[in-house]
Amino acid sequence: MANLRLRNNLRLMRFLSNEMTQAELGERLGVTRQTIAAIEAGKYSPTLETAFRLADIFQKPLEEIFQWDKESA
Amino acid sequence: MEENLSMPAKEQFAWVWLSTMLVTYAAYFTSVFTIGETTALTQIGLFAATTVVQVLVIGTVSAVIAVRHKGGPQSDERDQLIDQTTVVQVLVIGTVSAVIAVRHKGGPQSDERDQLIDQRATRAAYQLLICGMIVVGCLMPFNNSGWRIFHAAVFSIAVSEIVRHGLMVSMYRRGANG
Repeated sequence: MANLRLRNNLRLMRFLSNEMTQAELGERLGVTRQTIAAIEAGKYSPTLETAFRLADIFQKPLEEIFQWDKESA
Repeated sequence: MEENLSMPAKEQFAWVWLSTMLVTYAAYFTSVFTIGETTALTQIGLFAATTVVQVLVIGTVSAVIAVRHKGGPQSDERDQLIDQTTVVQVLVIGTVSAVIAVRHKGGPQSDERDQLIDQRATRAAYQLLICGMIVVGCLMPFNNSGWRIFHAAVFSIAVSEIVRHGLMVSMYRRGANG
């Protein structure tokens, strides 16, 4: 059975945005700092709406922030 | 204080619920089995005492958590209130705050991840509760009666609540994806 995962460059995006903190990003996104940490660590896949809002905040295409990684289990 | 900052309010609530439920229900069922057959007043008193302790402990700690998390509802007012009160007043404020927190589902800084974790844990606990209620309501009346059925029902509720908050804590620790 295929194990489908979502990878992201959120840490890099924050760094490129004047080293934005997780708390700042969380505040702009309307989620907790812990949720940002969970997304970055790959422990939580955000909703589509949150993903698009992240792309909007960083002014990048969605696929530049999130990558669909299909690997066999 | 550092731990408060590294843990979302919802996870702290889950820890409080889990530990309080485990301790109080362990004491309750130990007492029930130790006492054995007794009067209805004693049985009701035991259950009422357990419930009161749960409400007070969960209410007080929940209020403190809500105050410490910025962005919580009316945190400034609560902060001032708790600064100016005695322990007894904190207990009362805590209980009222817990009721308010429960009524305003989500509580302080609840986001989509908190809601997802809550939904998954509640679904699992609900299935467990249904199984328990089938045993208590459909099977036990044929072989048992009175307080045995009551205690079995309480046990079923206690287990489902402990499983719910245990799952929430577990999902916060290992991530909501897996």
